[in-house]
Amino acid sequence: MNRLIIFLPLLILLMICFFVLMYLLSNKDPNKPPSALINKNVPIFISKSLYDSDYVIKSEDLKNKKVLINFFASWCIPCKVEHPLLFEISKSYPDVYLLGLNHKDKSNDAKNYLSQDGNPYDFVGVDSDGMIALEFGVFGLPETFLINENGKIVYKFMGPLTKEIIKNEIIPLL
Amino acid sequence: MKSYLSYKIVFITIYFIFLSLEIFANTTLEEKVKKLTLELRCMTCQNQSIYDSEAEFSNDIKKIVRSKFKEGKSEKEIKQFLVERYGEYILFKPLLNYKNWFLWAFPFILLVFSLFFISYKIRKN
Repeated sequence: MNRLIIFLPLLILLMICFFVLMYLLSNKDPNKPPSALINKNVPIFISKSLYDSDYVIKSEDLKNKKVLINFFASWCIPCKVEHPLLFEISKSYPDVYLLGLNHKDKSNDAKNYLSQDGNPYDFVGVDSDGMIALEFGVFGLPETFLINENGKIVYKFMGPLTKEIIKNEIIPLL
Repeated sequence: MKSYLSYKIVFITIYFIFLSLEIFANTTLEEKVKKLTLELRCMTCQNQSIYDSEAEFSNDIKKIVRSKFKEGKSEKEIKQFLVERYGEYILFKPLLNYKNWFLWAFPFILLVFSLFFISYKIRKN
């Protein structure tokens, strides 16, 4: 008992060190908090097509297929960086449905951007007021989500995609 | 005479309780928005609350908070709405739930152990 009492502060210190070490080893980046939506159903949304407002896409339309949702905008410089990589995904994985959601953008600017840099998306939806992004917990562009066949969000990436991210984190989930 | 005084004290206390409730009920929308957004983290800024930040993300959240209050949602419901989408990271003060129990309980555990340790030392001396 006496020994326990003597070593108690040391034990507490060891416990604190253990938790700090666990945190450091978990590779968590405080600037990139995990999404609250991982393993949750894709939020309910409806979005009009950028090219024809008569066409809409709903969250229910995403069932039974793998979907990569990419939030982008013509004013977003990092989106331009990842843009060519989306073509690579589109070519290599044609069964993956690529949904682009144009966030808080002017329709003409978005159309010009996609005509200049090319359109890798199967559908380009409009999120002019940012409400869809809010449902997805987006707080900066670009952000990319992978949805499985059951309509669950299995992966989220904040920032521009890189070849390494696609190879190491996205492809294993496809 | 003394009993009258106690009646007066009770009456005045009740009066002030109701007065404070009345003041609370009349809290303006902007005050409620300010109070809540001060507790929310701007996720695109460095150590700034949503209230203090003028970032686009913060302005969007302020708009949402204002519209939710107008819809009649409570502060707790709005926090829940935001946590479901952005995670607990958006809150400066972590929620009191089973995931965070250790975080909340640790200072008390430490206090109990310290008191135990101090009392042992005092008794020994």
